[in-house]
Amino acid sequence: MGRTTMSARRVVGAATAAALALGASACGGSGDGAKASGGFTYWSMWRADEPQAKVLKAAIDDFTAATGAKVNITWAGRDIAKKIGPAIAANQAPDLWDESDDKVYGTTAAADQALDLSPVLQLQVPGEDFPVSQVLPAKYFDMLPKDPSGSNHYVIPYEIVTNAMFYNAADPAIAAAMPSPPTDWAGLLKVCDALKAAGKACIASEGEDPWSNALYFDYLLNGAGVNVSQLAADKSGATWDAPAVLTAAQQVEQLVKGGHLIEGYDATKYPTQETNWASGKAAFYMDGNYVTAEVAKQVPAGWKMASMLPPTAKTPDANLIGFASPKRAKNAAAAQKFIAFFLQKKHLAGISTTALNLTPRADIPAPAELADVQKALDAPAVRLGFDGVSGSWLPKVLNENYLDLWHGKTTAAQFVAKCKADQVSYWQTQG
Amino acid sequence: MATTIDDPLRTGAPRGRSAPASRAGVGPLERQRRRMFWPFTAPALTVYAVLFIAPVGYALWTSLYKWDGMGAMDWRGPQNYILLFRDPRFRTSLVNTLELMVIGGTITFVLSFALTLVLREMRARLFARSVLFFPSLVNGMVFGIAAGFLFSPTGPVNQALKLFGVTTPPKWLSTDNLLPMVLGTLVWTATGYYTSIIMAAVDQIPDYLYEAAELDGAGPFQRFRHITLPCAWDVIAVCAVLWTVSSVKIFELILLYGGSTNAYPPVSSWNTAVYVYTEAFPQGTVPRLGTATAAAMASLVMVTLITVVLRRLLRREPVEY
Repeated sequence: MGRTTMSARRVVGAATAAALALGASACGGSGDGAKASGGFTYWSMWRADEPQAKVLKAAIDDFTAATGAKVNITWAGRDIAKKIGPAIAANQAPDLWDESDDKVYGTTAAADQALDLSPVLQLQVPGEDFPVSQVLPAKYFDMLPKDPSGSNHYVIPYEIVTNAMFYNAADPAIAAAMPSPPTDWAGLLKVCDALKAAGKACIASEGEDPWSNALYFDYLLNGAGVNVSQLAADKSGATWDAPAVLTAAQQVEQLVKGGHLIEGYDATKYPTQETNWASGKAAFYMDGNYVTAEVAKQVPAGWKMASMLPPTAKTPDANLIGFASPKRAKNAAAAQKFIAFFLQKKHLAGISTTALNLTPRADIPAPAELADVQKALDAPAVRLGFDGVSGSWLPKVLNENYLDLWHGKTTAAQFVAKCKADQVSYWQTQG
Repeated sequence: MATTIDDPLRTGAPRGRSAPASRAGVGPLERQRRRMFWPFTAPALTVYAVLFIAPVGYALWTSLYKWDGMGAMDWRGPQNYILLFRDPRFRTSLVNTLELMVIGGTITFVLSFALTLVLREMRARLFARSVLFFPSLVNGMVFGIAAGFLFSPTGPVNQALKLFGVTTPPKWLSTDNLLPMVLGTLVWTATGYYTSIIMAAVDQIPDYLYEAAELDGAGPFQRFRHITLPCAWDVIAVCAVLWTVSSVKIFELILLYGGSTNAYPPVSSWNTAVYVYTEAFPQGTVPRLGTATAAAMASLVMVTLITVVLRRLLRREPVEY
């Protein structure tokens, strides 16, 4: 009995201790708050070792030196998009964060939780004679969906990403097959035939990835004047019956049936085919422009990176990577001052020279590998990839059906019929 | 609490009187045990309630609303559940979850039994067991990443098959083979795990039972059927429940085998866990936490029902030995 008494005491004691510990840790969780005095908190989508982080860090150090404002930085990495919503809900969000426009829109702006940053456009770029609105082309904002408050200035871009077909302009086989970029789809098929005759695959494709492969379809629809977002929004699915849609699907089918996709593309995983392309086994590879940095160390000496849009495409697509602020940001003004500060040519140029990416400023030259892409982006208008279609439409309606078409399992007509049917049932379950 | 326990009255109480036994014939030991029940179980119950019941209750509550996790919650009632079951994609996810559970479970346990049969009789069985157990130590991520290299058309697996004269191997990594590949990896990792647990129980079975059976002329299979299986039944039943519960939570394997850097796995390969994930973290739009939690609740109910039925089916009188 004595032992029982002892252990009973211990248990009660332990339980009390545990309860106290739980209580203490619960208290420890709350209370953050950014500092005032011109400082602000910043959560970045970059990890500290990424080149973009280095460019940003240098600018922040410069900003602190120039203004005395302290910036509390967290290099959060890409998980930031999953953390920002809960942080806003718990009132622990930073004053400034960055991500691609679709993530900013999806996680905050669509729920009316993103601050309208149009005041930034009126701010003077430090050390330069014009306001932000003059260095950032309006077309990048015009393509964005509006948030419930009617703003499309919830993200201020410092890096631009676009998608295109990349190739090695110094490859003699490609130069022979394509003296000049084709202007229509038949022209592209002719290039592919010539490459095939020369023993080179036309297109390298990661067959598992619906997104990059469907970009051909996306660009074809764009060329035919079909807006993918409107196509997806049609609850009756009738838009799928438009002849232009079937034609685009048939054009994709021609690539598949013509044997223009690299052998084994439907039985590999990323980055097998990207590697094959970088070693010259296929001519073209469709991807975001970051691919040039990805393969920079793999490509043989003498590789001359060039790019083109699929023929017939009218408007290049673009994605923005930029700054955003939650509506509840406590030090929004300080954060906005920094945005204008970072957009100075001397700082923003680092995105091109150090991070080897594109910037929104027309007066900052693109890295050499991206010269063609930059030229495409100089078009008067740009659009979001897939016209900004969002939500579960891609995974639930388009992606798998498209992969079936891309793998040659279905015909263009079957693909269109299946998408139409799946779209109808998709909208019935969206509530 | 402690003072009540130390109450000296208990020993000092006059014997023979009926008053202390007022609690209807409960002995002092039993009374002591009853008193200790709450102090002992309360901490566990508290932890259970805080970490398990409360989140489930919260999820249930959320599943009745339309909510993006930040703004106001719109009351939807049972609407989320109705839409969910109308969604053919969710029904496919349920079927896939059940397929992984039933087919994967059957193969895993058949293999585990076969291995038990062999391992009990073989030499160096401890070594063999460690080898079998090893795959379950490795994170599923590693398989997903290694598969891209191992199973590529010119990868080691096909090279090895070529040595055996297989010239047209299957397209291992094609989207059609996604679920079979996930299933294969699952079985491979789980078999060693469950074999180890079952073998631990088998080791406790006295040798003389096997020797007696052998003398009676029972072959290895009969010894397994009449000795190993009944004597290790309790452990096997627990393993079956563990499998059921864990198979519902498979997530990263599907994501790794089927997902690309830009997209979710093909929708026909989703299980309920992936479905919940895609609803909670959709691309380019706000989370649909209402449907996400409704889907999670539906799969919780499903696994609870299956576990209860399984426990009933597997219930046997324990064999004493």
